Amino acid sequence: MLNENKPIDNLVFELQERAKELNCLYMIEDSLNRSEISLRQAFHTVINAIPPAWQFPNICKAKLVYGDIVYQTSDFEETKWSIKSEIIVQEKIVGHISVYYLEEVPFSSNVLGPFLKEEKKLLDTIADRLGHFILHQKLKTVFNEFKTVREQVGGSKKGEWRIVLDMIRKTDPNLFMSLMRKLLHLLCWKGVEEAEMLMKHTSLVHKDSGTETDEYYDDNRPTKVSKIMDYDQYVETILRLVDENLPDEIILARIQKWIQEDKSSTLVKVVDNQDTSLTEIADAIRRYYHIAPEKFELPPSTVKGLRVSLLRRFFTEHLDYISVAKEYVKLTDFYKLIDKMIFPAGSHGKLGGKSAGLFLAAHILQKEAEHNDILKDVKTPKTWYITSDGVLYFMQHNNLEEVLEQKYKDIDEVRIEYPHVVQLFKNSDFPSDILKGLSVALDDLGDGPLVVRSSSLLEDQMGATFSGKYKSLFLANQGSKQQKMAALMDAIAEVYASTFSPDPIEYRAERGLLDFHEEMGVMIQQVVGTKVGKYWFPAFAGVAFSNNEFRWSPRIKREDGLLRIVPGLGTRAVDRLSDDYPVLVSPGQPNLRVNVSPEELRRYSPKKIDVINLETNEFETIPITRVLQESGMEYPNAVQIFSVLDGTMLRQPMSWDLDDKEKEFIVTFDGLISKTNFLKRIDEILKTLQSKIKSPVDLEFAFDGKDLYLLQCRPQSFSGESNADPIPKDIAADKTLFSATKFISNGRVPDITHIVYVDPQKYTEISEITKLLNVGHAVGKLNKTLPKRAFILMGPGRWGSRGDIKLGVNVTYSDINNTAMLIEIARKKGNYVPDLSFGTHFFQDLVEAGIRYLPLYPDDEGNFFNDNFFNNSKNIFAELVHEYNYLEDTIKVIDVPASTGGKVLKILMNAELEKGIGIFSEPSSEVIPEREVKENTEHHSVDHWRWRMKMAEKIASELDAERFNVNGIYVFGSTKNAFSGPGSDIDLIVHIDKKKCNVKELSLWFEGWSLALSEMNYLRTGYKAQGLLDVHYVTDDDIKNKTSFAVKINAVTDAARKLKIKNSGSSD
Amino acid sequence: MSSSKAFNPYDMAQAQFDNVAEILNLDDATRQILRNPLREFHFSIPVKMDDGTTKIFKGFRVQHNDARGPNKGGIRFHPQETIDTVRALAMWMTWKCAVVNIPLGGGKGGVICDPHHLSMKEQEQICRGWIRQMARNVGPLQDVPAPDVMTNAQHMLWMLDEFEVIHGAKYPGFITGKPVGMGGSLGRAEATGYGVIFTVREALKNMNIRPQDTTAAVQGFGNVAQFAIELYQQLGGKVVCVSSWDQNDKCSYTFKKLSGVNLQELLKITDKFGGVDKAEAKKLGYEILDGGAWIEQDVDILIPAAMENQINQDNVNKITKRVKIIAEGANGPTTPEADKVIKEKGIFVIPDFLANAGGVTCSYFEQVQCNMNYYWEKDEVLGKLDVKMTAAFHAVSDLAKKRNLYMRDAAYVISISRVAQACKDRGWV
Repeated sequence: MLNENKPIDNLVFELQERAKELNCLYMIEDSLNRSEISLRQAFHTVINAIPPAWQFPNICKAKLVYGDIVYQTSDFEETKWSIKSEIIVQEKIVGHISVYYLEEVPFSSNVLGPFLKEEKKLLDTIADRLGHFILHQKLKTVFNEFKTVREQVGGSKKGEWRIVLDMIRKTDPNLFMSLMRKLLHLLCWKGVEEAEMLMKHTSLVHKDSGTETDEYYDDNRPTKVSKIMDYDQYVETILRLVDENLPDEIILARIQKWIQEDKSSTLVKVVDNQDTSLTEIADAIRRYYHIAPEKFELPPSTVKGLRVSLLRRFFTEHLDYISVAKEYVKLTDFYKLIDKMIFPAGSHGKLGGKSAGLFLAAHILQKEAEHNDILKDVKTPKTWYITSDGVLYFMQHNNLEEVLEQKYKDIDEVRIEYPHVVQLFKNSDFPSDILKGLSVALDDLGDGPLVVRSSSLLEDQMGATFSGKYKSLFLANQGSKQQKMAALMDAIAEVYASTFSPDPIEYRAERGLLDFHEEMGVMIQQVVGTKVGKYWFPAFAGVAFSNNEFRWSPRIKREDGLLRIVPGLGTRAVDRLSDDYPVLVSPGQPNLRVNVSPEELRRYSPKKIDVINLETNEFETIPITRVLQESGMEYPNAVQIFSVLDGTMLRQPMSWDLDDKEKEFIVTFDGLISKTNFLKRIDEILKTLQSKIKSPVDLEFAFDGKDLYLLQCRPQSFSGESNADPIPKDIAADKTLFSATKFISNGRVPDITHIVYVDPQKYTEISEITKLLNVGHAVGKLNKTLPKRAFILMGPGRWGSRGDIKLGVNVTYSDINNTAMLIEIARKKGNYVPDLSFGTHFFQDLVEAGIRYLPLYPDDEGNFFNDNFFNNSKNIFAELVHEYNYLEDTIKVIDVPASTGGKVLKILMNAELEKGIGIFSEPSSEVIPEREVKENTEHHSVDHWRWRMKMAEKIASELDAERFNVNGIYVFGSTKNAFSGPGSDIDLIVHIDKKKCNVKELSLWFEGWSLALSEMNYLRTGYKAQGLLDVHYVTDDDIKNKTSFAVKINAVTDAARKLKIKNSGSSD
Repeated sequence: MSSSKAFNPYDMAQAQFDNVAEILNLDDATRQILRNPLREFHFSIPVKMDDGTTKIFKGFRVQHNDARGPNKGGIRFHPQETIDTVRALAMWMTWKCAVVNIPLGGGKGGVICDPHHLSMKEQEQICRGWIRQMARNVGPLQDVPAPDVMTNAQHMLWMLDEFEVIHGAKYPGFITGKPVGMGGSLGRAEATGYGVIFTVREALKNMNIRPQDTTAAVQGFGNVAQFAIELYQQLGGKVVCVSSWDQNDKCSYTFKKLSGVNLQELLKITDKFGGVDKAEAKKLGYEILDGGAWIEQDVDILIPAAMENQINQDNVNKITKRVKIIAEGANGPTTPEADKVIKEKGIFVIPDFLANAGGVTCSYFEQVQCNMNYYWEKDEVLGKLDVKMTAAFHAVSDLAKKRNLYMRDAAYVISISRVAQACKDRGWV
């Protein structure tokens, strides 16, 4: 239907047609759902709704025939251009509905003449719907009759049930037969002999007439079913027997129960069958709700069964999830849900982890709110869903199946090819049924901005948090419908492509999840917010955790929880920020704040805000002051969010202050915390969800100025082994590395063979930024070199700090992902308490990877820190990382067994006692899992150093030696020695003429190369670096005196290699 | 840090005093009275915590010497507070007030606590509790507290309120550091930066150099630096470069314009923390240099107004021959090693102690205005500041010339001699 390369105009035309059709369906649906509508009224509505939906409405007429009655639109005329669909009720044709064109119009297909395929389908759908409606009406009549009769006879009179059965016999022969069989069984149960006889002769277990009785029990042949020969006699016999043997009340009650069960039986059958597609399930649910004139009460067991089956089909097979969800999710909830689902025909997909979590949380809160006022009015944004197999369908449609193999490729290859995959996906078409769904969704979601979120099967499941590994994209959703559609499709394609992005694939590979059949569901959600000037954003948003793993005060307990909260979109609370800070609050201890003084608050408060710019249609990060200056008075709940800084005084603003351009506003949330019940609400939500889901949870929320919205809910992941370790007493000081008494979490880290120690004192003494950065690089190197999970990292302040580098070693997760434990040594400076790496994706990565985290306060009383051990043990740093040997003073690598006579380091922690200790002891007898040593570096190294060497040669050949007064250029270190890793530098020594050379200019020249190379290297490897070249200048004097790097030139061992320069003819 | 356990600030302050006492050849009794505080208060502050428990906090007030007037000094909230730290700081306050010749003595106080672990309500209780314990021994005529480490205007207002409730009257002069409109003084923002330039102006006068013939390089672009540049340019001087910290690149840069830095245009592209937008500055024609480049500029005046230890062994020799004055706008910008080199080079140093005394002088003005319940316009505050700073500068520089002392030593000598004289005049020693 949709050709490849079809111009967008054509596509839009088709969409418009689809929209007309849907409009028609809605009108029909709407009128048929009105309970009081008569058949006649309904038929009128239907035929009048039809013409506008057709391609040429002006010349389109419709006719409906039901039994003897004919309905038609005005000026109806039969012509030769028509299509027809039959109306079927209980497998019988009861009428038909047809559409005519009065004039000839261009033919669009061979089969249907001037009509579109879609139009025929639409007519079929209408006919089908009418069939249900007629049946519904009939049943309603039956019950009305029943009621009337009942009233007439005045209470229960003998034979009342006969009237019921008579009516059923007329209206629903299938049901009637089923009731007959059931009555017969009941009679047999009661031991009525005649019934048993009847059963043998006519029922399912009856053999062909004429054969000997009783033999068939011994036979292995399948029994054969005989048709009932004399139907009326059979029925009459049963009815007589019933009358004779059973009391009226029982018969009536039974019949009633069976009728109800029958209504749900199709649904149960459809849902239970694993082979039925979502389309069929959706139809079954819809039909169930249409058929049931009023909501029958199903037996509780059936309801539960249905809920479980539906949960399994829509969300997950996870028993933990289902066992909770089945108590909270009602069948009507699914009914509402299917209307918001987009799925390919024959889909077996699910909605994915994110959808499942939110769906459950919302329903738990809804139910609990019935008897807990504080939970009331917690909303969820309007959402549409594309099922998880949509991505496969999309790929099939565009013949992209080979991309599925991507995950088994080398990670470097994945990284290089990823941009290509994204482009490929973005340039692909969507299948028409998805398009149709998206169009409806767009209309339903309205004009506000949207967010397209991934909701994959792996995401948020199995304790492996994929948080942020896949894409979430914001759309301004402005402009014409075509523009909106195009933007939406683009975003979905990008989210789809992110399934094949290197990060999640690497993450999955690490956890052995590559073979898991990953599919990507998509949520299309309204962005919670309001319009402020030209921007759209919520008043504030953030994330909340049941367990506070970052306690900035000993008075805060773990269960007091944690909130990271920011003005505007919550992206800034979820992501680890490099240049900004979310406000942290513990809902159990709202008055204990991380930052206290006005200076601290000014320094560590959010300065930027994520918004959607409705004019540029872009997601933007802008200074908060800009929003306040442009439209401060419009900012919702501003007095609760901002404080005014007046000299050294911080106070909550008056609302008329907000457009005062002279005043300095600081985001503190003081008003929100002290003057509203917001924290109480969040606290109650966290506690409720935690107790119902039976796990600490992690929420995303947003507040638009009026309502609190829940955006996401998932278990707060933490490693399983959380048993407290017994802490041994009376360990000798020389057998102890350190002891800790603060912020301990349970667990143990056994059998550490290597310690990487960044000396806090030496680190703070480093004055050059590059040297500080290189400490991070060196740690990254060690991370690749040392045995995985058998070494620990110890260093000052905040690891991975992208704020002030002086506060901690600058590393990314990939620089530390092999460590067993990360220890931050907090040596207090004045009043500064280091901002520890909590609550961010980095921290969750640590938790997920089972990397333990411990803050150490060696200066606190009662804490022991074995400085001697670090001072006296042999430092093998320089042996491991040659190119950074000048950092030897700062970074110490200690081989524990070598330094302690064969012992290893064990770290034991007990959160209940708030005690942790690192001790040297014999290696445990447990079988240690095979260690993966140097897993990556080995097979990479070949091409990494080759490429670097080639580049170094290229640089040398391009260097204008005369212009810069360069005498020679040398390469050394990992490039020369052929052990470069993907993130290695290229070390160069440049021999310059001290007097003539303009070093500044030359440095600039190298800087250009350096940045270009690092970009190339990033594309090759995914390693980001601030330049790839490490250039060292030496002069004649240096060479003569063998000072600085000049020692490398003409050295006896490991000499630097001279490179050929452009203008100098000579080389070695 | 483990090594800092051995470090005792009180011992250091006493040793410093002993040196100067030697120069002044003070008698034993004077030395004894000045080496130690006149009075010390140690007390307990019970606080009902938010969780219903009661906690007892330890509070201090040290009144080092009030021979020249009521004690003046901050109140610190510090978890690792020791009485020796408070004693040392109180003594330094005495000298600081004396060097600018304002009629106040020195004091310091504090509470052992970490506000990070306290709610605002609990902090308020600590403030009020501190006053309840000290109400009889502090006051506008006895001892005047001020904000210090981890305390701010809010704490001062709580304390003032408690004090006024106990004494049943209004005493705005009891405490300083209040917001404008609640007894605070105008001109506080300008005071330190302007003070630096008042002393520079006087130093140039002594050297017979016209300010409009001079150039300067400024390190830092915060509050002090900005107002210093403002006044210096009003005097006709030309600032060739400023350096500022770049939050994104995690390093500082020097912004240079030989024709002279335009303060107003730079302020437009500067964030709240004094960070200048590099790209915008380039557009405006500034040369972007390494953060350390400010010190090697060929200028007459260097104004380090950023952090401590910025002029050190490594860069002191980069100072060009043209430099005649170093005005220390920051606290302790020069390391002792570098100080020796500067002394040898014969560069005229206006020590931090003197150069940045504009702040404490303005606090004094706040108290004066409060006591008479009449508040000056900003011009009046700054005019009076000029008079004070000018007089203070000349007193020190005259002494330095007369006794051939290094400026830094002269500043100490003059302040200690003033206090010693007051003690003698009162007949104490």
